[in-house]
Amino acid sequence: MISGLVQILLFQGLGELLSKFAVPLVPGPVIGLIGLLGYLLAKRSIGASLELVAAAFSQHLGLLFVPAAVGVVVFLPQLRAQALAVVVALVVSVLLTMAVTALILKALAGSGKDAR
Amino acid sequence: MHASLPPIAEIWVYLSGSPLLALILTLTAYQVGMLTYEKSGRNPLANPVAIAVLIVAMAITAIDMPYPKYFEGAQFVHFLLGTATVSLAVPIYKGFNALSGRMLPLLAALLGGGVTSVASSVFLARLLGADPAIVGGFYAKSVTAPIAMGVAERIGTSPTLTAVFAVSTGILGAVLGRFVFDIVGVREWWQRGFAIGVAAHGIGTSRAFSVHPEAGAYASLAMGLHGVLGALLIPVFVSWFS
Repeated sequence: MISGLVQILLFQGLGELLSKFAVPLVPGPVIGLIGLLGYLLAKRSIGASLELVAAAFSQHLGLLFVPAAVGVVVFLPQLRAQALAVVVALVVSVLLTMAVTALILKALAGSGKDAR
Repeated sequence: MHASLPPIAEIWVYLSGSPLLALILTLTAYQVGMLTYEKSGRNPLANPVAIAVLIVAMAITAIDMPYPKYFEGAQFVHFLLGTATVSLAVPIYKGFNALSGRMLPLLAALLGGGVTSVASSVFLARLLGADPAIVGGFYAKSVTAPIAMGVAERIGTSPTLTAVFAVSTGILGAVLGRFVFDIVGVREWWQRGFAIGVAAHGIGTSRAFSVHPEAGAYASLAMGLHGVLGALLIPVFVSWFS
């Protein structure tokens, strides 16, 4: 568990440094992600510890969103005043995005090997 | 009253001054959300994140705790978002085998979905007369929250608003995904998973994992790829739009 966490934190730190001093347009964690991915691809295996930590994170990712999302209370008056625009944009956009993505996959994969 | 026991107000002052209260609140609310989600038979309408946010928002309003004060404590949870982002390398790496066989459809779907997400929300919000400040929150909303907030900072829009829209999008995607895929007739788990990952990032991915492991794996692949692509392309996209 610990060695996996250390690996992740090291890549996060590296990413933050690079983002700060070299490529300011890309957020640090994204650079860290690319770095860790490159490392895994070079090594061609995932340590058990890293796998455990990554699984824990992806299972409870939702929890990590809570503090930022509670920020909705700050914007409540503004959002209430423009509720219609916000709700329509959010709902329609997510419906369209899922439909478009799924339909592109279905169309392009239809001829592929995966026809069951 | 026992003289040895501090009055309740003093305990309260002590607790609300430390990060502990915000942490207890956040984790308990999420626990309640998870329990409700399980009890409901994993009904997408009982989204644990939505329930947790609702509980925390009501609680801090009830005890008159300003949001920045709450965030001061809850930032320890929030900080882990960056770490969780880095750990996305693992599902992407695992998905790489799948990617090599399905490279073209997956990348085409990712690009199509990403562009649809930004273009449709920004267009609709503008059409319906939203403030530019609000519209700004839409650019990165389909990207996983930690990356979305980073992107928002770089394109000069509010990270908090972006996070709120990102999380709302995630919840809406998790709730509505099943119906959309049934309506458009997409049945393969990997396709459904990938689509929900592109549109609804982390929350959609948790949802996908709880429905089917293959859907979850593809959802996290989609979320990771969209995060990387979004971080690189959204700033370019924004400069075209404005």
